Amino acid sequence: MKNLKKTLAALSALALAGSMLTACGGTEEKTDSAAETTTAAAAEGGDAAETTAAAAEGGDAAAETTAAAEGETAAPAAGELTDDGDKLTIACWTGADLDNMIKMFCEEKGYSADQITWVQVGESGGEAAEQYEQYFKGDEDVDLFVAEADWILKYINMDEYAAPLSALGIEESAYGDAYPYTVAIGKDNNGVLKGASWQAAAGGYVYRTDLAEQYLGVKTPDEMQAAIGDWDKFQAAAATVKEASGGKTSMTATIGGLWQVFAANRNEPWVKDNALVLDNAADFVEMAKSMKDNGYVTGVSQWTPEWYAVGQDDSTMGYFYSTWCLTNAEGGQLYQAEGGPSGATYGKYNICVGPTNYFWGGSWLVPSTKCNNKTLAAEFVNFFTTDSAMMQKYAETYGDFVNNKPAMQAIVDAGTNKNDLLGGQDQFAVLIEAASGIKMEGLITEYDSAIKTNFIDSVNNYLDGSYEGTDATLEAFQDAVAATYPNLNW
Amino acid sequence: MQSLQPSRRKSISYAKYGYFFILPFFLVYAFFMLYPLINTFVLSFFGNGRANQDTFVGFQNFQYILAGGSRPAKAIHEEFILSMKNTIILWIGNFIPQIALSLLLAVWFTDAKLKIKGQGFFKVVMYMPNIITATSVCALFLSIFGNTKYGAVNSFMLSNNMISEAINFVTDETKSRVIVMFVQTWMWFGNTMILLMSGIMGINPSLFEAAAIDGANSGQIFFRITLPVLRPIFIYVLITSMIGGLQMFDIPYLFHEDVNTIRPSLQTVAVFIYKHFHATDPNYGYSAASSVILFFITSLLGSVTFAMNNSSKDKKKNKINRQQAKARKQLGGF
Repeated sequence: MKNLKKTLAALSALALAGSMLTACGGTEEKTDSAAETTTAAAAEGGDAAETTAAAAEGGDAAAETTAAAEGETAAPAAGELTDDGDKLTIACWTGADLDNMIKMFCEEKGYSADQITWVQVGESGGEAAEQYEQYFKGDEDVDLFVAEADWILKYINMDEYAAPLSALGIEESAYGDAYPYTVAIGKDNNGVLKGASWQAAAGGYVYRTDLAEQYLGVKTPDEMQAAIGDWDKFQAAAATVKEASGGKTSMTATIGGLWQVFAANRNEPWVKDNALVLDNAADFVEMAKSMKDNGYVTGVSQWTPEWYAVGQDDSTMGYFYSTWCLTNAEGGQLYQAEGGPSGATYGKYNICVGPTNYFWGGSWLVPSTKCNNKTLAAEFVNFFTTDSAMMQKYAETYGDFVNNKPAMQAIVDAGTNKNDLLGGQDQFAVLIEAASGIKMEGLITEYDSAIKTNFIDSVNNYLDGSYEGTDATLEAFQDAVAATYPNLNW
Repeated sequence: MQSLQPSRRKSISYAKYGYFFILPFFLVYAFFMLYPLINTFVLSFFGNGRANQDTFVGFQNFQYILAGGSRPAKAIHEEFILSMKNTIILWIGNFIPQIALSLLLAVWFTDAKLKIKGQGFFKVVMYMPNIITATSVCALFLSIFGNTKYGAVNSFMLSNNMISEAINFVTDETKSRVIVMFVQTWMWFGNTMILLMSGIMGINPSLFEAAAIDGANSGQIFFRITLPVLRPIFIYVLITSMIGGLQMFDIPYLFHEDVNTIRPSLQTVAVFIYKHFHATDPNYGYSAASSVILFFITSLLGSVTFAMNNSSKDKKKNKINRQQAKARKQLGGF
């Protein structure tokens, strides 16, 4: 009797403790299984072993890489990856994109959808950059992860997390058709290629055709490009628009958009010999100030509902948009700025290159050192980064600008791509020029993400009146960088 | 053997089972509170940045934050001082109106002579802002005081030609601070009012009656009876508000329109800690060290306030003792 009581008491205490602890642990499990179920849906038939064999017989790119991977194992590769995992797991923050990619990959290659899954780490690129490290330290499986230009160097320089692409049997020579800047960004500090981008995120200036005709008298994107071909012309056009519209229309929506253009056009990397390099930062501060003072920017903040609203009420002539802003998907930036198919300005936009070539964003696939699905991972990476036929198909299906020159050229030559948001204009025809003009070799550092955030924050605060003058702004910016990176010295 | 039975039964103590029942709390506490607390102190002695996260640096973080020096040290020092300044400005700016308003309302609501109708309704309405989450409150105020012509106030004033250009409520230093102070006051005055009311209702009503019979007006009653007797509650409100104010985080952190940009004029110490902890390249050392500094400032201020209360009580006690001694002497020491 006494023992029973004791046991009961202990049991109830345990149950109480257990329920408290499981409440915390439960949520994690839930997110994992949710991620899995989304991809496990639409499972197509087909045995894994069979399909691999079939692919090998077909003698396409995938088969070649499998062979290459086998040959590679003889050499002392830096990261020995294995091939005994059950599922290809991709860490990312863009689950919707991955869903499309996995769907297409499985359809083309005959895999079943439950062989590949993705896990969402963070809601944005910034969050992913912060949380990947924790995720990699844990026990969870990860074979590939997606990284962004701004912080890819942080991870690919950490040999404990990122394996070279050669460990998958993919050599740099496979990227002869890729845009050179994407290959440059995918290399770590020792020049080892660790990441491959499936996108070339070239951007352009998207403008209102009706307002442009009314205020600038231009009728085609080519005329528009001639009118705003460099920064001086751009400012002059901004002044014309402002005056002609009676102060109602600004040239561009936000300083943030302008900054993306400027950030991709530096002559020096942000950090050189452990010191911050300002380069042309002062020019941007001054230009931003004058544009703000003259009302050439609307004053709304990027990513807010107002940012989209100005696209419909004649407040702005245009936006600086990257290729991923122009997709027909409902969440797309241009789609929202036009207010959707029933919006006031639907289809009234056109795109031109703008003052300079630039890129904004982009996603690199990096093999993890924990990769245990070597063959499948290699096949997946190859499918989206070297296989030009498949990349072309992906671009045609989802409107993404893929990282393959012949594929994009073929789409432009065929002239089949028509973007309803741009009134039927083919954005690729414009962006293909912009993409080939991007030069970022040696200009990317592992500090870029935080430094760029600090910089645009300082500029925004200057425009809001927190600092006096360009020097004070740059001083505040340098202080912010010094506070974030105490190891830098200048 | 039989004789031993009762005494053995007596020695059975059920008290230990009580410990089993409270064990879960202590386990959870140790895991989620005690360990992080201790670890914060440990982290404050370690370096910053990716490369130095595991390097022991002694008091370097504290030296950087409190004293400045080379460029990184100067930058972090100035940022911390600005954050401290912001915290104090925002706290004072919300505490004074808050305490004045809630004291006034507490006195009115408890005044037997006024007999305010619908007291329950008013109390609920005034307490309500405290129930709404800070996030919702901030979203509400951001849409009311939006920076651009799309903000409610700006939109109204522009369409009625009261202003010619949109006012920067969110980005202007003074205006944004005033709005944050107002939001803090608005959110917390109901809470403080309830506390003060319970204090006032605890005062013996005969004191008020006696004062009224003696012909004291309401001002005299307030300053001579209510305030002095309310003192302990007052100290409590002051201490809790001070601790809350030093850790002010939610509203200042949320009050901005850009996705990333935290206003420098609204960056409190708690925001400072969070910002350096929660970043692509986190600086745990700075965050931990400033948390420890904040901890010591809070304890110091708390104990000073507490001591002030106690010492004045002691003084009063001493005064009474002295008076009694005097009286005894006068009466011939009985």
